[in-house]
Amino acid sequence: MNIIREVLKELVGMFLADARLTLATLFLVAVVAALVGVWRVGPLVGGGILVLGCLAILVEAASREARRVSRQ
Amino acid sequence: MDPIAWSVAAPAVGSAFLASLVEAVEAFTIVLAVATLRGWRPAACGAAGALGVLGVLIAGLGPLLDRVPLHPLQLAIGVLLLLLGMGWLRKAILRAAGVIPLHDEAAIFASETGQLADSTRHQPTSLDWIAGLTAFKAVLLEGLEVVFIVIAVGAGRGLLWPAGVGALAACLAILAIGVAVRKPLAKVPENTLKFGIGVMLSAFGVFWTGEGLGINWPGQDFALGAFAVLFLSVGIAAASMLRRPAAEAIQ
Repeated sequence: MNIIREVLKELVGMFLADARLTLATLFLVAVVAALVGVWRVGPLVGGGILVLGCLAILVEAASREARRVSRQ
Repeated sequence: MDPIAWSVAAPAVGSAFLASLVEAVEAFTIVLAVATLRGWRPAACGAAGALGVLGVLIAGLGPLLDRVPLHPLQLAIGVLLLLLGMGWLRKAILRAAGVIPLHDEAAIFASETGQLADSTRHQPTSLDWIAGLTAFKAVLLEGLEVVFIVIAVGAGRGLLWPAGVGALAACLAILAIGVAVRKPLAKVPENTLKFGIGVMLSAFGVFWTGEGLGINWPGQDFALGAFAVLFLSVGIAAASMLRRPAAEAIQ
């Protein structure tokens, strides 16, 4: 049972290492899905928002962690 | 294979190979600690058992995913790849910037050896069992990410076997080097590899999430390369941007 618990913990940790990064990424994908599917924006605009949004989320997550560590 | 197919196959096989290389180094450190304390038999049995479980997972889940409609599959796997890849890249940026320490295989080896010696002192009747289980757990846990990556980059494009072979080749390479050297593989540039894997997984994640949402990327499969260059450039820039404040904080 201990091994199963550790396997599940590892699986969850793979995708939820940083909760804010996970939530922001899911939110971004939902926004792009709405833009492309509901508001019918051009696929390139949707794609551009997806790419730039991911890069922004990445930089924000790394900067936030660096600030947190430097405060300690 | 035509050039377009290679443009997806090469990153897929490369990602599986590199991810497997990194995880195999980490698993090998613990298997080596087991072998040093209790001999190679329990270490090899535990590792082989875990590799068997991982193989069954790939063989079982891979064909199942082929039955899922392409767009929902690409979207689900793309989002999971984005979360995994950006998580790896974030950590690699922080390590490259010196914000968090690099992975130290020698220290992990010493700690694992100590812990295993402690548990075998408390339960001396089942030494080989504990040792084998430790090796099994290490290989299974480290291998889970590789299994996901192999399935994620391979499923839906018929690349499951090439990606699996890439992962297996990396495991065998680390095993061969590790058995020859018989020391933790501390000189492997783990963070550089993790940086590269994070970049590739994030690029795959954006590409497949977009395709799953119905976005036709310009240049089709070649867009993957452009995304990889973007993530790499931004990752390197972020690491150098964060380096100075972190160094100042330490001072």
